[in-house]
Formats: sequence, structure tokens, C-alpha cells
Amino acid sequence: MKRRQFLAAASAAAGMVQMPWLSAAARGDAADKILVAVELSGGNDGLNTIVPFADDAYYQRRPTLGIKRTATLELDDFYGFNPGMLGLQRLWQSGDLAIVHGCGYERPSYSHFNAMAYWHTGVPHRGDEFGWMGRVADQIAHRRQDDLLINIGSQQSLAVKSARHTPLVFDDPQRFQRDRWMSDIPADAITSVTSKNDARAFLRAVNQSAQISSQRIRQAWEAYQSPIDYGIAPMDLPKVAACIDAGLSTPLYHVSFRNNAFDTHVQQPALHRRLLSYACDGIHGFIQDLERMGHADRVVVMVYSEFGRRVPENANLGTDHGSANVMFLAGRPVRGGHYGRQPSLTDLVDGDNMAYTLDFRSVYATAIQGWLGVAASPVLKQPFEILPIFSAA
Amino acid sequence: MMLSGRAVKSFGGYPRGLVFASMLSFSAHAELDLSPLQDADWSRSNAAHLASRAGFGATQEELDSLALLSAQDAVEQFIVGKGQPLAVEFDASDIFDVGLDPFPPSRPATTTLARRQGHALGVSVKPAGNRPLQPVVNKFFYWLRASRLETDRVAYWWANRMLSTPHPLQEKIALFWHGHFATNEDKVRDYRKMLQQLALFHDLGLGRFRELMVAVATDPAMLVFLDAGVNVKDSPNENFAREIMELFTMGVGHYGEKDVQEAARAFTGWNYRGLDFHLVEQEHDRQMKTFLGRRGNFDGVEIIDLIMDQPSTAQYIGAKLYRYFVNQDLRAEDEAQLGRLLSDLEFDIAAFLRTLFLSNDFYDSGNRGSHIKSPVELMVSTYRFLGLSEVPGVPDFNVVSGALGQRLMHPPTVAGWSQGRSWITPSLMFERNNFILEVLYPDIGFVPPDRYPSYTAEIVNVQDRLRQGMSISAATRPTGISGGEQTMAASNLMADRDEDFNTRLGSMRGWQMALERVKPTPRRPAAINLSAWVLDAGCLTSRDAVNLLAKTFFLVPLQASDKQRLTAFLSKELGGNTLPEAATYLEDPLRKLLHVMLSLPEYQLG
Repeated sequence: MKRRQFLAAASAAAGMVQMPWLSAAARGDAADKILVAVELSGGNDGLNTIVPFADDAYYQRRPTLGIKRTATLELDDFYGFNPGMLGLQRLWQSGDLAIVHGCGYERPSYSHFNAMAYWHTGVPHRGDEFGWMGRVADQIAHRRQDDLLINIGSQQSLAVKSARHTPLVFDDPQRFQRDRWMSDIPADAITSVTSKNDARAFLRAVNQSAQISSQRIRQAWEAYQSPIDYGIAPMDLPKVAACIDAGLSTPLYHVSFRNNAFDTHVQQPALHRRLLSYACDGIHGFIQDLERMGHADRVVVMVYSEFGRRVPENANLGTDHGSANVMFLAGRPVRGGHYGRQPSLTDLVDGDNMAYTLDFRSVYATAIQGWLGVAASPVLKQPFEILPIFSAA
Repeated sequence: MMLSGRAVKSFGGYPRGLVFASMLSFSAHAELDLSPLQDADWSRSNAAHLASRAGFGATQEELDSLALLSAQDAVEQFIVGKGQPLAVEFDASDIFDVGLDPFPPSRPATTTLARRQGHALGVSVKPAGNRPLQPVVNKFFYWLRASRLETDRVAYWWANRMLSTPHPLQEKIALFWHGHFATNEDKVRDYRKMLQQLALFHDLGLGRFRELMVAVATDPAMLVFLDAGVNVKDSPNENFAREIMELFTMGVGHYGEKDVQEAARAFTGWNYRGLDFHLVEQEHDRQMKTFLGRRGNFDGVEIIDLIMDQPSTAQYIGAKLYRYFVNQDLRAEDEAQLGRLLSDLEFDIAAFLRTLFLSNDFYDSGNRGSHIKSPVELMVSTYRFLGLSEVPGVPDFNVVSGALGQRLMHPPTVAGWSQGRSWITPSLMFERNNFILEVLYPDIGFVPPDRYPSYTAEIVNVQDRLRQGMSISAATRPTGISGGEQTMAASNLMADRDEDFNTRLGSMRGWQMALERVKPTPRRPAAINLSAWVLDAGCLTSRDAVNLLAKTFFLVPLQASDKQRLTAFLSKELGGNTLPEAATYLEDPLRKLLHVMLSLPEYQLG
């Protein structure tokens, strides 16, 4: 609390209009909840993530790439974790990890870009102008606010595109500042323009949003210090932790493991293990950090990828684009355990792919309604089953 | 997004009466007006628009001479170039050694290979003694660093071409194809292949699309990037065939999964040897294939020819070119018209662009100033407007363009860069403003990224600890992390401490070796003299200076109120309103003014 008061005083002193940023408590407890979406781009191989070692078909289809039971990290007597996943194993052991099996949708796309667009919009095949998280924000607040969505990345993700709100997108908080040069008039003092030129109006709006938010983000980052080990490549989760710790009222965050990294067509084993270790270290470090800061009860992490990979391995020690995949929900509020159903590895569809057993939007609905307490059907445009991850079954 | 104010003059060859009748019907859709601009409509501002889109902007002198030409001659000057082409070859460093190609896909793959065959990358494994694989690992990191640094030099060389070329469209289209056939050095790991691919974009970029497509598909950089080498008869790998269809030609939705699999068979055995295409006969599938409804024992080139015959290919490429050169917000219903045009012109890219650049549509008010400059466009055009003859060494071109989201030779994914609004986020808006500041006031704390390992800074600490006499194991242990094994991250717990080699040591030694052989990048900052320029142009007052800078740097007119504020700002800095009296101390006030001006959101528009 002390830090928040200090920041409030600091920003008041700086004469900034920032009331919306500091109103987490004022918005009531529902608004205190936070959802962090973590994207593993490139198509994470779910079968070699949560390894079904007790299923013989797994080793028949993956004679070389199949991970032996003894090499996995212990999970239960059917599944094991990929050996790089120490971070998620620790969360599993403390009951803070929900593993959701068989997530997918009808007539899956095997294109990274289409499939990712379907996951970002939550509207397979038809797509949508706005992202599913953007629509959650629209549902939370009908009037424009600039503090509902934070997307850390070099580009804005379609997932956070909103009809009403401007997502705050940044990559390096330290660089999120306009350097001045002994100038008496800051550039932002320049009058605004009403223009028929759409691109010009867009630039003006983004510029204004940047003015309002940058100092806040930089302060959050500068004030943040953590002894927690997030591993080698923690995505951008320490930045999220900094924002939360600084008292930002943002309920929706999106980060990603970037640049299609999980697209493991060739030489998969060492690479995949390393990628998973980075991702899982980051998530585990983040949850530990939240514990340290006293925010662990407010935050849930949801992990997704645009598709899983084909069941049979290819001839290059790799796997090709597939369909149904495993998703994760992690954090203190989560009831740990298995959800959904592992698809059959013998009754394959559509050229050696698993048939999905659960629409991925069920997991979205669970996060939206079961966790954030926002009605999911208007966001997802149809009702989906809510999994008992946040309430007693 | 609808375009506003688009003039409708051409009716695509339909009989006038019929068109008139259909215009009256409610559902009628006006086509793009691709009929040529009348010479009477040619103007200096049209020339500025053309130079911004077909090149990287023009200086005032260049605009003066373009404005005197006819529209047709001005466009032709961009299509074919003006005068002799630049003849500056890339000045390569001597970094390649026999044994480095083919380069294994990872460090583990390298050490596995070395263990199996006793050598790798042209380096033998030591028969006994300490860390027998270390020399191989050192060599692995050497090439990783050296190739990356040399690729940065290629990017610098290219940026200088963009700045100084007499044929800017050749560079602009090369940049388009670099984003279209997106290939990243991070995976290719060979600057020579990147350079060779870039030459294709330069040489064939304005030619016929089929030739370029075949050349790119048989070029080693793309073959490495899309794992073509592992696509073999007994186990076809679809990556290459899929991306050719989805991203390079037809676009998704115009073929089925079966077509992808069949095309993959036709590309089996495609591989490279050094810098040449190489067909591995025994891996190539010569059997019957069914592709897009046709049957035959097609090879890869025949597959590409079948793809070229699809209307969706002309439409996909035509629309993408239009979005890049004219307006990102092209209506979906206008794509077919562009596809027909490209198809009628037999995929001749120069002819297609000539038609676009001459068209009434191109100069329509809805299309002017509608383009958000890409980072590379922003940087190169800024340097052009400033009248520079070489790309400054400070700030670093690659670091800045990378921070802005467009590092040359490193497109983020195989889909290339998204254009338009996706270039802009709140923080990238600031980065763009800060770039201007760094050009006008070079950072005296600048650290050259080709001399200091800024993205693997930990190895500098490793070096320090080794110099203090620590053992290799102690010197390479991860630092800065508290807590015991219970809380340490797996990736840190397992950081390579293989007894046969040490990865961090290899990384450090690789940098040292690369430093020796990669030529340094010159680090001169921009040589700018705004005061001489403004005074020579005859500016007498603060208002004159603001007007000159606005005219030089902006494609859209600034608001009168903004100009007033800027004028007042300059006058205050000068302590007066007249420039000649302030001539001896004019430079800093002008630079401050320019920084404020180019930080306006409107400066991003081209």
C-alpha cells in the first residue's frame, strides 16, 4: 500500500490526470481480478508437453520423438511433463495448475496466421474485427478507458483490439518515453486536429494515449525490483508484475513468446524442451513474484497456442501443424487438476490429427465468466460450457 | 475501411450506357479509376506524392525538376531510374571458412554431429584432454556472431543504396519483396545467402513475377528458411509448399489441404549446395500428382506455373502491391480489378506499377497522405530530406529500425511485416520521435553494437571473471540470482555445464573471434547544417523557417495554429524574429524546432 500511496502522490505532483489508473479498489472486488493471456506462438506441440506415456499409441506414432516416461517430470501415472517444464511441475504440485486437454474447434486451420486470428478473435472461420480480450474490455466498461488492456509486445495483438478502448501497447518500459531536448513547448501541446484522413486521426489518438500512459508505466518499471528467478527468457511477465505491483487497475494483459518460436518442424527435442523451460520458468517465476507482492489471489494466467502438432512425427525429428491442443490455467485461484478429455491417438481425423474434445472458447468462457465474472456469451457470441476451475464442481 | 472522396472516371471498358445504367442501381460498385492522369493535372505536390510512394521522398531540388516533367516522364524516371545505376558492391569481410556450410540448426545438433563423426564445422574434436568439444563450440558461436554482424553490414549497405540511388523504386520494390518473401537471418544463419537473395529482389523485383517466384523458391536462403532440405520423397514436409501457396501466391482459401500435400511431393528433393540450388534426384518424387484439379507428374516449377494460372494469384499480388504503394485500406471488392490488370500485363511488375503511378486513383485526395511510413521509410526519407549523402553511423541504423519494428534481414515471421497501422503503438510513436532526436543530437554515450555484445552482455562478465583467474566453471556460472535450487528456474539450473564443452565460454570466445574478422561499421553521425540551409534558401523570419521545414518534411499540410506555435517557439529561442541577425547561433534553435516538428504525428504520414 505504501508504494501505491507514494505513486499517487508522485503523479499528483506531476500534475497528471490519472484517476482511472488508481481506482482498482474503487471499482469493487470483481474489478480487482486480473487475467494474463500468454501466447506460445508457432504451434506448441501439446503431445510432447503433457506426455501421455501410458498410451502405447503415443510411442507407436512417435518412435523417435516420443519422450520416455523416465525422462519426463512426474505428473501422475498416465502423464508426465516435458523435462523442461520444472516451472509448471512446481505449480502442479502446489495445486495451482489446471491442464485442459483436447482444446480445438471445427474444421481447424493449419495456417499459423489464420489459426492465430481465430484464437485472437475467438471466432473461428468468420473472424471478427475485434479481439476476444478487446470485447471483454468492451463488456467491462461501456465508456472509453485507456487502462483496461495492456499488451506487451512490439506490435499490437489482434486479441486486444477493442471497439471502445485503446489498448496500451509497449515493449521496453524504459524506452517508453519521449525524450525532450531543452524544449519549452512539448510536442503534445500542439493542438489536435479533426481530419477526414483516417490515418491522421488514428495517429493523433495513439499519440494522446501515449502521453497519458507512458510516465505511469515507466514509474512502475523503475519502482519494480524482484529477487525472483524468472529464468532466461520470461516473455514479458516481469513487466506485468511491475504494472500489477504499481497498482494499475488493468484487468487484462496479453504477452507472448514471440516470432513463431514453437514452430518445430525440424530438430524438435532439444529446442522444444528449451522453449518450454523458458516459458514455464517465466510463468512459475511470475506466480512466485505475485505471492511475494501479495497479489497471487488476484491473478490467473491462461496459456494458449494457435494449434497443436500432428500426432505422427515427421522424418526430420520434428512435427507438422496439427489441431487439438492442451491449454493451461495457472495461479492461486485455480483449482488444479485435469480438465477436458485427452483425444484418441488412434482415431485420427483430417490427415493424422487429433479430434478436438473441447471447444477452446470453453476455456475462454471459463476465464471470462468463471474468473473475471464478466458474462461470457455476449463476448463469445454464443454460450459455452464453463469448466469448474474456479468454483466447487 | 472505406475510402473517401475517390473520383470515378473510368468504367473498366464496359459500354458507357451499361455503366450508366448500373450506376443508377443501388448495388453498383465504382471501380478504381486507373485511367491516366491528364498532364494538366501534374503538379509539384503530385511529384512529392509520387516520390514518397515510389521512392523514399524527394528533396526540394528533386521536386523542382520532377515538376517540370510531364506526368508520364516523371513516372518513367521512377520506373527505369535516372542515369547510371549505383555501382557500389557490398564490401564483404573475410569471415567464411570451409566447413561452415551447411551450418547445423543448433548448438546441440553441432555437438551431436561432432561426437558422431569426430569433427564439425571444419574443426576436429580433441582426442583427449579438457573439454574436447570446446573448439567446435567456439567455432559454432563464431559463425553465429560473425554472420549476424556481417548481415548488419549488409543492411547498412542496403540502407545506403536506398538513400543515394538514382533508382529508388528498385529499392522500394526490393523492400516489398523482402517483406513478401520474408526470410530471417536468425534462421538462415549465413549472410552470404541473405545477400544473394537480396540481389534477386534488386535484379528481378520489377520484372515478371513468375521469374522472381521461381528464383526465390530455388534460392538457398528460402530453401533453408522453409526447411526445404528436409522435404523428401518418403516423408514430404509441407512447410515449403504451404507457404508458397498461402503467403507467396494465392492466399489462403484458394486450395485444399490435399493440394498442399501434393505440391509438397513435387518440391521433394529440392535442396542447396553452398550458394546454388541442388536437386537431390533420389529424394525427388516423380510420380503422378493431382494439384488444383490437374493431374501430371509435376515438378516444383510446374506447380508454380499452375499456381500462376490461378486468378487468385494475380489478385493476391496485385492487391498487396496496391496496399503497399497506394492505400492500405483497399476495399475487398476492388481486388479483382487489380488482379485482372496484373494478369492482363502478364505479371509484369514494372508495367503494373507504371499504370498505378499514372492513374487518377493514385493521386486522389483519399490516397494522398494516407500512408503510415514503415520504419525504414521513415528513417531513409528523413535522411533524404536532411540532404545526407550517407546513412549516419550514430544512431545505429539496425538498432533503431529494429526498435521501431523493421530490422532489415530480420522480418518477424514468414508472413513478413504487417503494414499500415500495425507500425504504430503508443510506445513506438515515442520511439519514432526519439529517433529524430538521436539524429539531431547524437548520443555521446553511444556504444557500437558491432563492437560490444549488447544482446549477450553476460559474456562480458564471463570475460572479466576469467581475467581475474577464475576457473571456467566458476566464471560461467549464472549470476544475479538469489535462492537455492528450490526456487531457481530450470533454464538456469540446467545451463549447459557439459564436461565436454562450455557454452558460455564458447559464446564469449566466438565474439572475440568475430570481432577480429568482421569489418567495423563507420560511426560518423549525421553532418547537418540547418542554419546554412535555411539562410541560403532566403528565409528571413521565424515564419519563413517554419514554412520551409514544413514544405521539406511534410506530405500533409500543417494546421495554421500549429505553425503559429512553432513560429513562436523559434522566435523565443532566437530572442527575436529575424534569422540573419541570429545567424551565428541559429543552429541549435533550428534543431530544437525540427525535433518538435518531426515529433508531430503528421510526420508519420507519407
